[in-house]
Amino acid sequence: MARIVACYKWVVDEADIRINPDRSVDLSKAKKKISDYDKCAIEAAVQTATAIGGKAVGLTFGTADARQSLKDALSRGLEEVYYINAEEAAQADGAATANALAAAIKKMEEVNLVICAEGASDTYQRQIAPRIGAVLDWPVATSVSKLEVTGNTLTAVRKLDDCLQTVKVELPAVVSVLPEINNPPIPTLKAVLAAGKKPVKEFSAGELNADLVPKTRVADLQGYVMSRKNLIFKDGEAVDQVKELVAALKKEGVI
Amino acid sequence: MSGVYIFSDKNDIAAEIIGFAKSAGKDAILLVFDEQTAKVMGNSGADKIYLVNGESELVESYARSIAQLLREEGAELFAVGATPRGRDLAARVAVYLNCGMASDVSTLSCGDGQWLTQRIIYGGAVQQTEVLEGLAVVTIPGGKFEPVSGTGEMVNITLAADRRISLEETMPIGHQGADLSAAEKVVCVGMGLEKEEDMQLAKDLAAALGAEIGCTRGIAEERHWLPAERYIGISGAVIKPKLYISMGVSGQVQHVVGIRDSQVIVGIDINEKAPIFAAADYGIVGDMYEVVPLLIKALSE
Repeated sequence: MARIVACYKWVVDEADIRINPDRSVDLSKAKKKISDYDKCAIEAAVQTATAIGGKAVGLTFGTADARQSLKDALSRGLEEVYYINAEEAAQADGAATANALAAAIKKMEEVNLVICAEGASDTYQRQIAPRIGAVLDWPVATSVSKLEVTGNTLTAVRKLDDCLQTVKVELPAVVSVLPEINNPPIPTLKAVLAAGKKPVKEFSAGELNADLVPKTRVADLQGYVMSRKNLIFKDGEAVDQVKELVAALKKEGVI
Repeated sequence: MSGVYIFSDKNDIAAEIIGFAKSAGKDAILLVFDEQTAKVMGNSGADKIYLVNGESELVESYARSIAQLLREEGAELFAVGATPRGRDLAARVAVYLNCGMASDVSTLSCGDGQWLTQRIIYGGAVQQTEVLEGLAVVTIPGGKFEPVSGTGEMVNITLAADRRISLEETMPIGHQGADLSAAEKVVCVGMGLEKEEDMQLAKDLAAALGAEIGCTRGIAEERHWLPAERYIGISGAVIKPKLYISMGVSGQVQHVVGIRDSQVIVGIDINEKAPIFAAADYGIVGDMYEVVPLLIKALSE
């Protein structure tokens, strides 16, 4: 049965990131989540598999703690998840990540479509779909807002800065989808319970025989500090707050 | 010819990257795909312009042969405008060159056989500095470097393309109203808005200010109250108006990254702890259903 593979990343929830006064970054309190955009990739894989009578499967490359993502991913309609469990994931750049994912895809049978999000919500590099396509030597369509599979052909609508493009692509292929492609539903309780019984196939880095050495080196991380006036009118009557605001905006010369 | 190889489907970004290459003391070699662009870019300071001929209308489909050209010529960097086409092409070329890539960099400099880049991660909360050794690929958004002028030689070249993907149809995007990224004033609605009918309140405020209306991702993609082109943030529009006023926007970091370059930021929200206030010049902590009508009234006086 044709497999539709949705790639996803287990990421730090950026809402939990704390920036220390010296601008160092504190991730110690941060929970993790499936990257927001990847939920759309998973849903697109599930919808496409349903439409063509195929099998939607998940694929993730992460460290040991990405194991926590498996049940969440499976509750979103995927039939199985492939998990590359490798410490190298902690330092991976676009090159290493695409090599790992492509190597796992090569080990699966009957893959005819790989769906990624445009970018992950932590790094948002937007490299992985085109990189996987190049590593596998499969055709690629990025920025996809609509997709349909008929036989051995994918028809995709790409949303670019200046136009919408309809492209036809021979399968197997790799696509990246925009978040507007669908609205991933919140998993039902039944789906969450069923997720625990679904199969997980785990790969180690060694099994994949892929180059996981990053080609970029992170030299520094610093919290971004927004320098603004922060004049907040929080007390008193609304009418007076508005008066103060309008006076301030006039003084700024913006109204 | 060694040097910085450049492509962008936006001519102004291509011109800025040429400016970067020249300021770094490197030769600038520009790739274009049609004669019109070759003509327009003729005086942009590029030392050499390759006019690429081939069988595909999709520039991304030339990734493999572009990589081969770069390798043969001894390129030092492939610098590409950060647009959907550019990012796609750049990432594929990086694979064929077996090299590192930094996406959407905010700064780029060179030194001693390496490239130093900065970019934002975690939705805008953190700035990351990366080092790329030797030949590398970067994508660069507009507005980072100054263009220069000067003419160079023009060379026609034929490259092979991936024919497994074909362009069937191109349609212009029907933008509703003006371009948000060019707007002088923007009123932004967030999830604090209770009902779709209440959009009228935002429209009235926008009318009183002469502003465009934007929104957060949730309003466009979960509630569908405004089209996707209207949402502001890391995966949406990045704006730089003189005045940005939000109503019912909590100010999550992914949204704030899209408004950072605004001259004056105003937040109106009922939750005193909403992160929008840390990102704002001015704020009113209060019920927007009470505050906004008063603001409209004050503005029309």
